Amino acid sequence: MRTIALALTVFAVTTLAASEIHPPAQVAAGNPVTIPTSGSGEATFYLIGPAVANKTKVQAGSDISVNGDQLQHGGRYVAILCASDGCSAANFFVTPAAANKLSFLVHPSRVPVGTSNGITALAIVHDNFQNLVLKPEAVTFKVMPKDGKEVSASRPSENGVAWVRLTAAKKSGPTKLGASIGHADEIRVVQQVAADACNLRIKASRAKRGFLIETDPVHDCSGNPVPDGTVVSFTASDSVGKTTVDVPIKRGVAKVEMPVDGRAKITVASGVVTGNELEVAE
Amino acid sequence: MRVTFLRYASVLATIAILLLGFVAYRLSATADDNLPHVHFNADDISPRQIEDLTSKSVPRDYALAWQTMEQSLSENRTGLLDGYFTGFAKQDLTQRVNTQARSGLRTHYTDRGHKVDAVFYSPSGDVMELRDHAQFDMQILDGGKVIYEEPVNEDYVVLMTPGADRWLVRQLQALNGKKP
Repeated sequence: MRTIALALTVFAVTTLAASEIHPPAQVAAGNPVTIPTSGSGEATFYLIGPAVANKTKVQAGSDISVNGDQLQHGGRYVAILCASDGCSAANFFVTPAAANKLSFLVHPSRVPVGTSNGITALAIVHDNFQNLVLKPEAVTFKVMPKDGKEVSASRPSENGVAWVRLTAAKKSGPTKLGASIGHADEIRVVQQVAADACNLRIKASRAKRGFLIETDPVHDCSGNPVPDGTVVSFTASDSVGKTTVDVPIKRGVAKVEMPVDGRAKITVASGVVTGNELEVAE
Repeated sequence: MRVTFLRYASVLATIAILLLGFVAYRLSATADDNLPHVHFNADDISPRQIEDLTSKSVPRDYALAWQTMEQSLSENRTGLLDGYFTGFAKQDLTQRVNTQARSGLRTHYTDRGHKVDAVFYSPSGDVMELRDHAQFDMQILDGGKVIYEEPVNEDYVVLMTPGADRWLVRQLQALNGKKP
């Protein structure tokens, strides 16, 4: 009887003294925590998280302080306490802190003027520690044209993402797009370039060998000069056959000297746009 | 003499080729066997509709990302993360593996599959957001001793972005069981 009572007492004392760890159920990213433990004697504390796996010697029964810099990454953490009587563990979650950073993606970086819904601006909402903030937050999008008035609109984030579609302006040139939340204010620049050539016209004049064919200054339909380097194709059809020459625009115009045999028909095109047709005779 | 030498050399070369072929076959079979099962659903994706090819490559690359992550955490090899992780996800996992290695710890996973819903695909096709309900058994080992083991049912939010020839995991964040 005495033996059984002694055994029960030893069991009860052992059970009561077993090391345990009690972290909070959740903590906001970057905040320090104090984790109470029970038991006694030397123990090892393990903290396992998305970007951490640390091991430290502690005293079971005392509180364990965990710095905020070990708890910056949102997600599931495991706190483990191993003492001479075994290991005990508990899970807790680190939740994202307040929204204060943005990943801002703007696509494309160059867009033809007047393209309807041609620009997409997308903001991914993060906290200070780059955790994705899934709670809906208002993101302010701004368009800051070079010579125009700033326009802004707010969009709520959904699943950590807010986005808008924008139509390119009629005038070529750079325009700034911005997105802001908390202390984050991100800017990207989109180059609005002339659209396809419009009213492409050529004229011909006699040259040493054949004819000099030259375009009028090449503009898009909004009057923006088509950038230098854009290829213009000249095609001459005469009794010998068909000849095509690709010429880049230089200083706003494209020109080429074409030999012609007898009567010839000359046409011009840039991309899908065709211009006027000339008839020349040698 | 020369003819005999050439005969033996060709026999040895044939045996070597056969052996290498067998090893390569076994290795690829092992990789396929270990690939986590991903059930992918993109019915509610918006605003962009998913392309046929993308609907095949995203679950395949996500499964490969988990496979390499599990292997990296089990063997404490950060180089394995280069294949399918980028950005914050790669940065965080590299930090995890490095601290694990310093502490003499390892993490073993037995993957029991992923139920993945695609929720967002950006209009320009450069970001996809997924929700993954993952099931796995996790063991944490200090040296050779298991100090923690648990079956885990976890929800993750995942951001993937296209790389040169595959989709890469840019963010992998466990959720607190709450879907905002």
